[in-house]
Amino acid sequence: MSKPKLITEDGIRTDGRRFDELRPIRMEVGVLDKSDGSAYVEFGKTRVFAAVFGPREVHPRHLSLPDRAILNCRYHMTSFSVEERKPLGMTRREVELSKVIREALETVVFLEEFPRTSIDIYIEVVQADGGTRTTGLTAASLALADAGIPMADLIAAVAVGKVDGQLVLDLNDVEDKYGEADMPIAMAPRFNSIVLLQLNGRISKDEFPKALALAKKGIMEIYRLQREALKRKYSATPEGGM
Amino acid sequence: MPLYFSEHEVVLPGQLLSDDGRRSGEGTYVADGKVYAAQVGLATIRNNRICVIAFKGAYRPQVGDEVIGVISDVKPNGFDVVLGKHLTGVIRIPDRRKVQNLGLRVGDVISARVKESSLRGIILEHTRKMRRFDKGLLISIHPAKIPRLIGRRGSMINMIKRMTGCRIVVGRNGLIVISGPSPAQEFAAVTAIKEVEKEAHTQGLTERISKLIDSILKGGVG
Repeated sequence: MSKPKLITEDGIRTDGRRFDELRPIRMEVGVLDKSDGSAYVEFGKTRVFAAVFGPREVHPRHLSLPDRAILNCRYHMTSFSVEERKPLGMTRREVELSKVIREALETVVFLEEFPRTSIDIYIEVVQADGGTRTTGLTAASLALADAGIPMADLIAAVAVGKVDGQLVLDLNDVEDKYGEADMPIAMAPRFNSIVLLQLNGRISKDEFPKALALAKKGIMEIYRLQREALKRKYSATPEGGM
Repeated sequence: MPLYFSEHEVVLPGQLLSDDGRRSGEGTYVADGKVYAAQVGLATIRNNRICVIAFKGAYRPQVGDEVIGVISDVKPNGFDVVLGKHLTGVIRIPDRRKVQNLGLRVGDVISARVKESSLRGIILEHTRKMRRFDKGLLISIHPAKIPRLIGRRGSMINMIKRMTGCRIVVGRNGLIVISGPSPAQEFAAVTAIKEVEKEAHTQGLTERISKLIDSILKGGVG
């Protein structure tokens, strides 16, 4: 298939957005009963569940650390999440994304509170349309907060990229495939610290700060939605002595 | 120093609570000399410290807590006690004869006080306050709901005890032992406790629980 036109002369993208607009976002917390914490996040057609178990006993036991918990993370795409059936099991890409997501989350979770235990995070992509790692990370941090695991901040993530020579926020699948660059960024917004940054493709030295600023703007909006989603679940206040 | 929250406000991880880092309590952390929330919960001030009462989360043993556990191993110098999903405590007794005298076996349910909770593990006291339960029901609820079950100065738990006539021992780790004169009364107590767990965040709970127990005791199965 040849490269489609990604941005019209009026600056409208394939799904009708402007360059600095996010896709319609939906977030829900505590959607799965059997996990200790869970979340569902939707960025347009990208849909992701995240579930957290733990702190629980480490298995096998020799992997446990005497002074802190270990964080396990599994990012996985369901076989029906993409157009061509994805074979079951972890691909190299999924193994890598599990690792970068885990490393991003390790920066905010207070692991030393639960020595000799493990905290397990499962991220399941049920529908993929670009930006699954950022959506997954956003969902995972919500699920961790929902599980009551102490953390320094939530993590919000979004991708910026370059398509048809222009910087755009929150790439979808087509823009990712045919664009010139894709740069997922995750931040702990409270401390203005970047916890994940990858770059696929090329952007110039001058464009980089602009891309970063664009991402930050998106991240602040996502962070606001995350807080809203959490507050929505826990809005009722208890009475009596706690 | 100003506070950035109102009493019993729902706060989220990373939310700034105060500029005075010395007042950081449970459920909070200090960064750059400021207090931030670490968990989703209700912000409050306890003993002049800023705390977040978490809605959910694993039990973290504090020295002096009374916990209930199941003996999982008997060793020459003590016992291992399972306290929940991820926690195992130990009772250390230097005197071998005393270990035998206690007569505890694997599977016995005991309550004990936490003597130490550190990198060395959770150590339980064996001298004072340790006891074994001979009979009763062992149930488990979410540890975060235990304070609500106890209520302000024990109001909730005392009411359940009084109304059902059961003896109830509540462990901070979420395990509860109930023993009553009849299965019906024990059933009423279990139902009431499970209801408190489910409805912990709602208003007017004490009254509703009282009605619930009443209806169960009167009408058989409520």
